[in-house]
Amino acid sequence: MLQRVSWILWTGIVVGSLLLAGCAPRTVTVTVEVPVERTVEVERTVEVEVPVLTSGGAVTVLGVWGGTEFESFSAAVEPFTQETGVGMAFETSRELSTVLVTRVEAGNPPDLAILPNPGLLKEFAAAGALVPLDTFIDMDQLQEDYAQAWIELASYEDHLYGIWVKGALKSLVWYSPAAFEAGGYEVPTTWEEMLALSDQIVADGGTPWCIGLESGAASGWPGTDWIEDIMLRTAGPEVYDQWVNHEIPWTDPAVKTAWEIFGEIVRNEDYVWGGTTGVLSTFFGDSPTPLFDDPPGCYMHRQASFITSFFPEGVTAEDYSVFPLPGIDPQYGVPALGAGDVIVMFNDTPEARAFMEYLATAQPHEIWAARGGFISPHRGVSLDAYPDEITRVQAETLAGAEVFRFDGSDLMPTAVGSGTFWTGVMDYVAGEDLDAILEMIEASAVDAYGG
Amino acid sequence: MSDRLRRVVSAIPLHMIIIGITLVWSLPSVGLLVGSFRPKNDVFSTGWWTVFQHPFDFTQFQLDNYIHVLTAEGMGRAFLNSLTIAIPSTIIPITVAAFAAYAFAWMDFPGRQVLFVVVVGLLVIPLQMTLIPLLRVYNRLGLSGAFLGIWLAHTGYGLPFAVYLLRNFIGTLPKDLLESAFLDGASHLTAFTRLVLPLSVPAIASLAIFQFLWVWNDLLVALIYLGGTEEVAPLTLKLSALVQSMGQDWHLLTAAAFVSMALPLVLFFSLQRYFVQGLLAGSVKG
Repeated sequence: MLQRVSWILWTGIVVGSLLLAGCAPRTVTVTVEVPVERTVEVERTVEVEVPVLTSGGAVTVLGVWGGTEFESFSAAVEPFTQETGVGMAFETSRELSTVLVTRVEAGNPPDLAILPNPGLLKEFAAAGALVPLDTFIDMDQLQEDYAQAWIELASYEDHLYGIWVKGALKSLVWYSPAAFEAGGYEVPTTWEEMLALSDQIVADGGTPWCIGLESGAASGWPGTDWIEDIMLRTAGPEVYDQWVNHEIPWTDPAVKTAWEIFGEIVRNEDYVWGGTTGVLSTFFGDSPTPLFDDPPGCYMHRQASFITSFFPEGVTAEDYSVFPLPGIDPQYGVPALGAGDVIVMFNDTPEARAFMEYLATAQPHEIWAARGGFISPHRGVSLDAYPDEITRVQAETLAGAEVFRFDGSDLMPTAVGSGTFWTGVMDYVAGEDLDAILEMIEASAVDAYGG
Repeated sequence: MSDRLRRVVSAIPLHMIIIGITLVWSLPSVGLLVGSFRPKNDVFSTGWWTVFQHPFDFTQFQLDNYIHVLTAEGMGRAFLNSLTIAIPSTIIPITVAAFAAYAFAWMDFPGRQVLFVVVVGLLVIPLQMTLIPLLRVYNRLGLSGAFLGIWLAHTGYGLPFAVYLLRNFIGTLPKDLLESAFLDGASHLTAFTRLVLPLSVPAIASLAIFQFLWVWNDLLVALIYLGGTEEVAPLTLKLSALVQSMGQDWHLLTAAAFVSMALPLVLFFSLQRYFVQGLLAGSVKG
């Protein structure tokens, strides 16, 4: 009897689930595609085109942003949705390139995707997966709003494929003004002064630098930023470009010099908090925390603008300040190294076009800027939009730097830029021979760049 | 009495070793649990073991991480989505596998062994290899982004193991039992539903736990076939989106891990007695 009951139960569950299988998905699939009139693009008098889209379509956007970043981006998009009725369905994936490559390959890409580096943009553009934007974006306006360097980074073979929605400035040294004042230290303006200050701090019994290279599978990347910054300062932007494009080998003296200058700081046990072991094993996000200890665990931390979101709770904008990483060779001045997120388009729909046009205006950038933790490469963004002086200075530097270069490791093929370069940095800090490391990276570069 | 004492004493080293291994084994989870109750700044500055310096100082614990995770927007929806995915994705493959296992074990048809070897062979195919071709098919059929699509995907990925496990279990049922049933005029369907299925409940229950856990914890399959939009995203996707692009707020993942663990734990403890039996399923011939 009992067995019979359990059998009836089983049949019930099976039949029930099959019924569910039959009806549930139908209710789900409907939401996505809504036909929209194509006539929209003809009238391009800015305001007029917008209300036509009130049929309430949606754009799907794939990106790596989560948590507060995603909330800020949603807030920035809000006015667009209110005006057009076009909603945004945002998908967060921390494994962006894996997911995107799979879905593009299978013919199911999102309408838009926010890529963390231009290397991916070029790969997709070369594969013909992206929609060129210069057919509908007002290029004259764009050239006014973005520096040429940014436009070139989002272009491939004379077509524009992306719009920069977020920038990051990397050539920054963070410090605590209170700690500097207590020690009687002054902000250095040259590389020599910075090293002299480091020696001074050591002599006073402190530790000048906090460096953390641990970042899971991406461990080592903070070191690549250091080396890129030093390359820009010792060899100049032209040689930097040659290096990024692998027109000079990794064993070139210019590259070796940059590593050695980095080594003078990072391999000096007195200079770095926790010694080289500490450097290798500290999570990069936790590494600036000792800046705010009492007494300070360290005095200086070189990291990109986003690091403020890692600062411990209770640390406010009054507790820290920032100075640009000083120049080394005076003829190259103080170059700026940066990075950013670029949005690209896979499906050419009227909603997606309207969305892109909206993101090319200053409005979404200003909304996010006001919410903090953000700097924009968009020149139309008023500096008043930024919540504090520190961010304002960074935004100004980013949009106006004479020599600006994008994070080189993001531009290199992944096997090098997200592979041997990272591991090479870890090996170098661990004390391995520099020549052997550079030869190892060079060998992988020869393969990755296709000979 | 002395016999018993000797037995107890001689068992002590073994017990010590077992307890030791258990402790070492569960240490990471304990660390995670302790960490999930610590404030953000503490997590970032000191290791979880430092709480034992002042074990009775309860101010070093708080519930903020849990509150943040549980009140994040859309968490309830994600929980329902996870259930909507996991329940059919558990029931469908097990139902199919039970029928198939019976056929492989007790029905005589040409090519039975070959077919079984093919099914078992499918166990070694990594599911990542199927992502692109299957997604292409789904796009044609309009199944991508739909629950039916992911149920079928999980069914496909779960079937080889389910068939293999159930066949071995059903194959060990006493032959006499089934033969006498057939002598009494039972058809295959009757034998399966009235005899084999009730006897296989331990194996089926433990298989259900395996399959449910695998689907519940899955991130990749959902990410590819379902996508991460609000309407369909399961808990795993939602939780991973708590962390920002550079890994900011990773401390929330400690609490998130225990939130997502809650339901599987309940399931595991309520079906535990089947689970232990199930581990032995098919291992000893009756």
